[in-house]
Amino acid sequence: MSSFFYSRLALTNIKKNGKSYIPYIFACIGTIVMYYNIHFCAVTKDIGQIGYHQTFRNMFSFGTGVVALFSIIFLFYTNSFLIKRRKKEFGLFNILGMEKRHIARIIFLETFFIYLISIVAGILFGIIFSKLTILLLFKILSFKVTFGFEIPKAALIFTFILFTGIFTFNLLYNLFQVYCSKPIELLTGGRVGEKEPKTKWLLAIIGLISLGIGYYLALTTESPLIAVNIFFLAVLLVIIGTYCLFTAGSIAALKMMRRNKAYYYKPSHFISVSSMIYRMKQNAVGLANICILATTVIFLISTTVSLYVGVDEALKTRYPKEIAINIKNISDDQVHKVNSVIKEELKKAKVTEKDTINYRLMTLNLLQNEEAFTSAQNLQAYQFNNFSLVTFIILEDYNSMENKSEHLSSNEALLYTFRGNIPGDTLDFNGYKFSIKKRISSLETEGIMSSLISNTYYVVVDNVDTIQEVFKALKGTDKTMEGLSYYYGFNLEADRDTQIKLTFSIQYALKALNLDFSMEGREVERESFFAVYGVLFFLGIFLGLVFIMATVLIIYYKQIAEGYDDKERFEILQKVGMSSDEVKKTISSQVLTVFFLPLVAAVIHIAFAFKVITKLLSVFNLSNIPLFAVCTALTILIFAIFYAAVYTVTAKTYYKIVANK
Amino acid sequence: MVLLEVNNLKKVYTTRFGGNTVQALSKVTFTVEKGEYVAIMGESGSGKTTLLNILAALDRPTDGEVLLNGRSIVSIKEKEISAFRRENLGFVFQDFNLLDTFSIQDNIFLPLVLSGKSYKEMNDRLIPIAKKLRITDILAKYPYEVSGGQKQRTAAARALITKPQLILADEPTGALDSRASEDLLKLFSEINEDGQTILMVTHSTKAASNAKRVLFIKDGEVFHQLYRGNLSNEEMYQKISDTLTMIATGGVRNE
Repeated sequence: MSSFFYSRLALTNIKKNGKSYIPYIFACIGTIVMYYNIHFCAVTKDIGQIGYHQTFRNMFSFGTGVVALFSIIFLFYTNSFLIKRRKKEFGLFNILGMEKRHIARIIFLETFFIYLISIVAGILFGIIFSKLTILLLFKILSFKVTFGFEIPKAALIFTFILFTGIFTFNLLYNLFQVYCSKPIELLTGGRVGEKEPKTKWLLAIIGLISLGIGYYLALTTESPLIAVNIFFLAVLLVIIGTYCLFTAGSIAALKMMRRNKAYYYKPSHFISVSSMIYRMKQNAVGLANICILATTVIFLISTTVSLYVGVDEALKTRYPKEIAINIKNISDDQVHKVNSVIKEELKKAKVTEKDTINYRLMTLNLLQNEEAFTSAQNLQAYQFNNFSLVTFIILEDYNSMENKSEHLSSNEALLYTFRGNIPGDTLDFNGYKFSIKKRISSLETEGIMSSLISNTYYVVVDNVDTIQEVFKALKGTDKTMEGLSYYYGFNLEADRDTQIKLTFSIQYALKALNLDFSMEGREVERESFFAVYGVLFFLGIFLGLVFIMATVLIIYYKQIAEGYDDKERFEILQKVGMSSDEVKKTISSQVLTVFFLPLVAAVIHIAFAFKVITKLLSVFNLSNIPLFAVCTALTILIFAIFYAAVYTVTAKTYYKIVANK
Repeated sequence: MVLLEVNNLKKVYTTRFGGNTVQALSKVTFTVEKGEYVAIMGESGSGKTTLLNILAALDRPTDGEVLLNGRSIVSIKEKEISAFRRENLGFVFQDFNLLDTFSIQDNIFLPLVLSGKSYKEMNDRLIPIAKKLRITDILAKYPYEVSGGQKQRTAAARALITKPQLILADEPTGALDSRASEDLLKLFSEINEDGQTILMVTHSTKAASNAKRVLFIKDGEVFHQLYRGNLSNEEMYQKISDTLTMIATGGVRNE
């Protein structure tokens, strides 16, 4: 009988707090569905059919880790918000004669019911949606889906363990909260934090500085190689900056406004500024969370979408020629042999080549210091910034390839900068100097260079002997240079299948020559390219959705919390002589400001990160900046519309609370 | 000169689902002269809060009229009513109704800021009032940092700063201890000496004994009234006490 009483009380409590608990239950179910699905993708058998499935499994496992970590933080955050709001209720139970162990029992039952509903519904919907997810994924990858339904045990068990763990942890936290507090504190628990917040100048300044450094790093990074490392540092600094500025900076700014009497004592500013000071104290962390989540969503979706949309272009950047061959240490004699082998294979396949380029080259790994280069034999990690690839080409090849008739002496060179910067008019290879006769604006290069992220230069010199001299200057006179490499690239007038066949037949024929060669065919690589970018796209959208769900929920809870806080203020202001229209206007303008602050901050973050993101994307062979700009702008627009819609819907709940007397 | 004129005021509440009607005020008529200090007494449910709400333009009567300086407050348009309230009436509530987000000073400034007054003018008005109400020292503090008595004096300052025609006080001593109550009542008397008209609703005999005139309301009507004349506070207290006993024991109207 008594246990029945407790269960009924627990259920009534959930129902009574429906405004906050129903969204919580939905969030739990949503998180479980999301987690199960991403884990499903990582372990499903269907993935096994795709060529590079191990890579994809790794990518999905990474995604699973992110979602798991996110679930823990997110559900804990939500739970602690809910329990804070309910302290008063527990205080009342306590005063009415319930002992703490009775309250604990109620809390246990409540958590248990929510857990039961969430885990059952979550896994059920998870399984149903998993088929949809795999269909979507295969659609993106343009793969055919197999029929049948799979429920991987691993995904099921891990989902169960993870969320049982999260709920247990939340339960313990709630019990701890109740046991460690006195009834009177429980009664006033909802009102803790009414004191005016102090201005934390130090924190505000730290925030400003770390945000400044973060932005500065993002703006000044030129080399994609550094961009990868710097990016994470910049992200970290910007996150720290965001939290500090939202919590301390906002209050400092508001207090400065308050000190300005002419500004402060205006009807439109007076009430907003003073109540914002309090509101920021309670909501700053929530707002900072929203800001970070919004930034992440915009970043994830805009980058992965532009990669996916730009996949054709990226493929062309990475593989500028449909077939490309690179042979190391080759003699002039062998060059002719290679040329004739290729011609022969083309003839056999009855295909003509076009846009052919071929030249001999020598690529050296060097350390660059402005215009000076030294050998990079024992490369230290800190020198990565200076690491550069310098490719030497002979004038003869250059002239015939580009249809030019340039002349060079042995101390003159033509320079093509693929990535990087050389100031001045000279090049210095450890003592061997060239004057730059001309800078070339375009050159057909090997595709591999676009996926390497170091500085890359092409230097055209008069003949092989000069390259030999440079080599000796760099590596020492006792070393001899191996033969030049040979690059041969061309396009074909043929369909996909013929191209793939030809790629393999040339490869086979070249093998017979016993050369150190590598070969790339664009059509051969297309599939894996699509697959990698497709999976990235899928992950981006998936994680984006997870984060959007969290954003919505945090916004919703913020509205509720503010509604309860504003209710009292609303009534007093009316009694003191403010019309209800005025009050409504004041409150809504201030809610609007607070609401869109994170979005504005997120857009500013993205704007500052734009340049460094384009550098990162260049690692993924995406150099189409306008495409990325359009994707970013569209993502921001769609996100803003979505955000505004969520605001409008939740604002209704808010007004209902405030106006309800 | 008559400041406030209440004629045949009637208020009938209808319960939410129609059906039952409750008559809160049946026929209230009285006047308040300029500079008077009037207390309205009555038991719970006698209709005194309804009366005050109507006087404060927070509620509208079913019938009858209320004239402030000859102007009917019943017919003021909804849009102007907040400004009217702000400029003509001052309020002191039982539960202070101070905003926790404002300092004491800003709480007092609130109605003036809403009327768009300059900081200098507000400050000029505040200084003498704060001195009179002995809150000069706490102006920079926040409501949760000061005592109940100080809070209520702040509320009184907020009511006074607009130089209202009439101050309406609803159980101003209800949430105060006896010493703070006495303090506040003394202040009310002093303010009244300076010429401020005060109308106070209370069921504390002690509070009412400070007024110059006491109206008793029973069953929605003015049942009886006492003039102070030359009586001391203690004698007035006794008289009010006797009247209340008489009302409670169901005595018939006399005098």
